[in-house]
Amino acid sequence: MYRQAPAEPLALDQTSPRHHRWWHAWDPAGVREALVGYGLVLPSLLVFLVFYYAPAMFLLYIAFFHWNIFSSASTFVGLRNFRILLQQPIFWQSLLNTGYYVVVVVPVTTLLALALALLLREVRHIRGAGLSQALVFLPHVTPVVATSIIWVWIFDPNFGLANFVLHALHLPQLGWLSSVHWALPSVMIYTVWHSVGLYTVLFLAGLATLPKQVLEAAQIDGARGWLSFRRVVLPLIGPITFFVVVLATINTMQTFSQIYTLTGGPHGGAGGPAFSTTTDSLLIYQTAFLYLHFSLASAMSLILFALILAITLAQKLLADRMVFYR
Amino acid sequence: MASIRLRTVNKQFGARHILKDINLDVGDSEFVVVVGPSGCGKSTLLRIVAGLESPTSGELWFDERAMTKVPAHARNIGMVFQNYALYPHMTVFDNLAFGMVARKASRPDIQHKIAEVASLLEIESLLSSKPGALSGGQRQRVAVGRALVRNPYAFLMDEPLSNLDALLRERMRIELRRLHDRLQIPTLYVTHDQTEAMTMADRIVVMRDGVILQVGEPEVVYHRPATAFVAQFLGSPPMNLIPITVRNGDAILHNAASTPVPLPPEIRHGLDAPSDVSMGFRPERLHLSSASSVGLSISAKVETVEPLGSRYHVHATWHGLPITWVTTEVGIARSTTLNLSIPWDELHWFEHGTGKRLEPLRASEMSLSLEMV
Repeated sequence: MYRQAPAEPLALDQTSPRHHRWWHAWDPAGVREALVGYGLVLPSLLVFLVFYYAPAMFLLYIAFFHWNIFSSASTFVGLRNFRILLQQPIFWQSLLNTGYYVVVVVPVTTLLALALALLLREVRHIRGAGLSQALVFLPHVTPVVATSIIWVWIFDPNFGLANFVLHALHLPQLGWLSSVHWALPSVMIYTVWHSVGLYTVLFLAGLATLPKQVLEAAQIDGARGWLSFRRVVLPLIGPITFFVVVLATINTMQTFSQIYTLTGGPHGGAGGPAFSTTTDSLLIYQTAFLYLHFSLASAMSLILFALILAITLAQKLLADRMVFYR
Repeated sequence: MASIRLRTVNKQFGARHILKDINLDVGDSEFVVVVGPSGCGKSTLLRIVAGLESPTSGELWFDERAMTKVPAHARNIGMVFQNYALYPHMTVFDNLAFGMVARKASRPDIQHKIAEVASLLEIESLLSSKPGALSGGQRQRVAVGRALVRNPYAFLMDEPLSNLDALLRERMRIELRRLHDRLQIPTLYVTHDQTEAMTMADRIVVMRDGVILQVGEPEVVYHRPATAFVAQFLGSPPMNLIPITVRNGDAILHNAASTPVPLPPEIRHGLDAPSDVSMGFRPERLHLSSASSVGLSISAKVETVEPLGSRYHVHATWHGLPITWVTTEVGIARSTTLNLSIPWDELHWFEHGTGKRLEPLRASEMSLSLEMV
């Protein structure tokens, strides 16, 4: 008996072909292991199914149908929702706004976060460094809606801190959120302030994993300052930079709360003035819940999803060629 | 004129005193190996010379230049790290070139020099690979090449062979030494491996707890260790140390029976009596007693025999005290009792407690060959 035992694949052996087919896991130990495993993931799986996958599937369904929340009848319309969208100037305007927003916010946040991380790393042995780190991270843990309201006051053209600072610097004052040209940049400023802490912490984590001896080898090799940073540090934190850029891109493409809060309220409906801050996620929200065109909104969501997926894949392809060196 | 001089160098990390009043010279074209157990401060010593740490007090000189305050990037030394610390994102060529690029050498110069170093180390075929694709031995060569390419003032090596397998380590040991003989660059080499220290060094520095115990040529340090610690640290298997008390001309073994062993007068006179000392002898200096043997005779009860092919490590007891004998004699059987002996002048004596070497036989010669710090 003992001599035959090793011929049986071990229950825990993931590589054995038998375990790729769960219906072959007839042995009691395997069944019990599977039950326990699925039992453990079940609660979160249920939450995900009900609140995430099911709505997503439903969205996929109504994007191709004419669907009304007040009637049970729905008709298949093929790509008509998409065709309608492409004919709407506001849809293109929202894509343009989103693009502008992403193209500014992602590089600025990434660079600022990297700079802050390098600075915090330099001073990490000084007393109070932990506090500085906490202060940089703090905005990110504040609720967007609450701090957005504070920033509405900061951006107030008459009494706000922003214009006060410009005045003190002898610069022309701006209309900020009430200006067609400055409303979106105002949102960008808020977003950078709110999110830079998260990316700073990510960069700090990345910098902490740098192989110390490689940096010392660079020092011994006579490199310092910019050369050492550009040729050694930057390539080595490539993977974390990639992660930060992807995360920032996805986050900014989906920005909603601060735009809704900052540009709503005293300035009329969110997305203004004159649709200058109407990004795609805001338009999706308004289309669905203001104008009740759920099918159109769903189609728009699909487009946004496809865009994010495409951009992330493009970033990944780029990163595979440039960033990962192992 | 020494190339690298350390003068009363101290290093403290908070309350921990890592290096205590280190004085050390590395001469022109000298190969100095610092050896000691982990935590003895040898790596910190090397890092201070490299400029990666600054001493709490003391001075560092390269020839006539005060280097204590000079930053690492301006010291022009070549360093080989234990884990090689190659730039993982660069090709071997770029790894080698980086130091020259940092010093703004011209492209043709760089290419010429790299070609030269690559052929010296036989890594020409690897130049376009990245470190991840190399074997341990190849990485080791690249790391040496990187240190070499800039014509460094000195070579610092921090346990460069400890990540290699035994066979490769043996080969690289010889290669590194040969390289040094060819290039004649002053080298400070840190290791915990006493074999590396013995085989590679012009001079050995033995350290423990931040203090240099002994500096000297390998043969001298091996045959006349300054302390009991040095005696046991160098040599494998380590020197047999038998704690005894000298009383009435006898060595009283510290075993259950307090067995007395008579000492000859010339040794007896050299040792303060009564005193606690350790009596040491190298395992390979013991031999089977014959009619003509003079010296300490030891009746050893064999417990285990480790065959190593070329020799045997015989673990035995002598009046209940464990001793080791290294021999080429075949056919030593377990549980037999052998009569071994060792000449009196092959015995080492160390003060109990301090571990300091005593010279009962040759007190007058002591100051000549030992460089005690």
